[in-house]
Amino acid sequence: MSALSRPWIWSWLAAAAAFALTLVLTSGRGGGELAYAALSFGAFAAIVGLGQMLVITLGPGNVDLSIPATMTLAATLALKAMSSDPGTAWLGLITALAVGVGTGLANYALIFLLRLPPIIATLAASLVYQSVAIWSNRGLRIKPPEGLADFATGRFLGLPNVAWVGLVLAIVVWVVLERSVWGRWLLATGQNLRVARLAGVPVELVRATTYVSVAVFASLAGYLLASFSGGAALNMGAEYLLMSIAVVVIGGSSIAGGNSNVPGVWGAALFMFLVVSMLNSYGAGAGVRNVLTGAMIIAIVIAASTRRTRA
Amino acid sequence: MTISKMLLSAAGFAMVAGLAQADTSGKRIALSNNYAGNSWRQAMLETFQETGKQAVDDGVVAAADAYTTSENQATEQAAQIQNMILQGYDAIVLNAASPTALNGAVKEACDAGLVVVSFDGIVTEPCAWRIAVDFAAMGKEEVDYLATRLPDGGKLLEIRGLAGVFVDDEISKGIHEGVAEHDQFEIVGSVHGDWAQDVSQKAVAGILPSLPPVVGVVTQGGDGYGAAQAFKAAGRDTPLIVLGNRQDELKWWSEQHEANGYETMSLSIAPGVASLAFWVAQQVLDGADVPKDLTVPFLKITQDNLAEALETTPEGSVANVTYTLDDAKTVISDAK
Repeated sequence: MSALSRPWIWSWLAAAAAFALTLVLTSGRGGGELAYAALSFGAFAAIVGLGQMLVITLGPGNVDLSIPATMTLAATLALKAMSSDPGTAWLGLITALAVGVGTGLANYALIFLLRLPPIIATLAASLVYQSVAIWSNRGLRIKPPEGLADFATGRFLGLPNVAWVGLVLAIVVWVVLERSVWGRWLLATGQNLRVARLAGVPVELVRATTYVSVAVFASLAGYLLASFSGGAALNMGAEYLLMSIAVVVIGGSSIAGGNSNVPGVWGAALFMFLVVSMLNSYGAGAGVRNVLTGAMIIAIVIAASTRRTRA
Repeated sequence: MTISKMLLSAAGFAMVAGLAQADTSGKRIALSNNYAGNSWRQAMLETFQETGKQAVDDGVVAAADAYTTSENQATEQAAQIQNMILQGYDAIVLNAASPTALNGAVKEACDAGLVVVSFDGIVTEPCAWRIAVDFAAMGKEEVDYLATRLPDGGKLLEIRGLAGVFVDDEISKGIHEGVAEHDQFEIVGSVHGDWAQDVSQKAVAGILPSLPPVVGVVTQGGDGYGAAQAFKAAGRDTPLIVLGNRQDELKWWSEQHEANGYETMSLSIAPGVASLAFWVAQQVLDGADVPKDLTVPFLKITQDNLAEALETTPEGSVANVTYTLDDAKTVISDAK
């Protein structure tokens, strides 16, 4: 199998091209700075993208639209629990993850008990989560404890800490998908729910754990993002709704499910940041920027999917 | 008594009632709001509720209720306005999702005898009152300020708001007018920060590597702190960033001032403009002669009143002013 037939290669090629084109403009200046920024901001998209990828892998109709609200709620409650006191970073992390488990279970309960389509269930639930976030602090921004803020904006071995977190999670997800029974169950469920059930796969357990996983990933991303940008804001997750789906699709995972692609998610997350930076650097207006971004996404998805069918 | 006589006497009563004035104690006012998902809107709702509750307690009006749509959709807000007509409100104070898409519903309300006062997000329907902010002047004022601080000029970075929104276009237009006037300045980069700290931080971090040194950042509010963080992360000197009255921005400014004498200016519209709209609606119900187009001043914070503004702004909120009935009367008489 040649390298070009791997669906994930296209998102990495596109990211590299956007990076190179920006550096052409600056004649090579600021390359390190740009790569560092891309890794920092790409990490948040990659973390929520990994979660969304698991859900989309579950098969047609499975998607979590409550990611932005879960991020906001987890970040809001975590920062409130920490109330900027030093040494409370773990308390905040546990609060955020508990919120993730809670919203994930609630989403799944709506889907399983009420038999709601996941799109409707998660969208409706997200209104509730967003309202709880508003109600819990009336939109006030609380600063993260200093140690946590330093961690979120700091670096280790030259790479941003948040990128390390995203990288470790990506490896964990990759190992789980490729090497564990649960990963095989997930892929089998996504390829054909009925066949998987008849083959003895506990499909409802797989779905439940997947919906909890995506919410936990989203809450972790919200916690890190709030620590990174100096506080939780009510609209902080807004751009991660489409972003989380875009990175999955650009990354070469099948939107129809049953086929996931971990490296592609990271490539796509970097691409989404770099393409906006590139167009901003070239001075493209908002309209041109959106049109070009959309056109490039379509091109990458076509490139990745046609290669796959031929292979 | 013939029908025409009955009509005449009814009209007579109506005129007497109109002239009598000063009694709005039986009137009910509703706030129709399209969005609640940021600190500015939260402060706006809070101010409206405080002002409304005080007015109800004082017997100035019978009710002042706030309603917010969940999805920031014009269709949803149009339905909300129709409900308010059916519920028998006498006036609607409106922050609209769209300047034109609600015109039909607003016309229905006017035809049903309701007073509609739009503010911040205004509507173009002629029967409604408009409390607008001169956003272009706000943008121009930023550049005027930079010209006083940096007479030699230099390169500027512009952070815009949400693409495609009227307010974004207006502020940006004002900024570009200012730059045309003070030609020692040049805008070398422009990004969209969606009026949010994290989005601005990301956009600025992405464009900074390709920019020459910049001396100033012109903003639209809600984006200054994120820009400062991005400059810091890139290891660049902090330029003169015009801020937008958010508490975290003001706190950052005051810390910088203590550390190295950093000075800037901050300006935005106060969320309390909702209380101004409330009093304007009350004045219209009262029978006062109110011009349809009013202008609200923006709230400006300088080094002199920074400490005071920081003290009165709750942590994580937006600097605010609650307008009183007298403020509304001043705004109305200024517009005549």
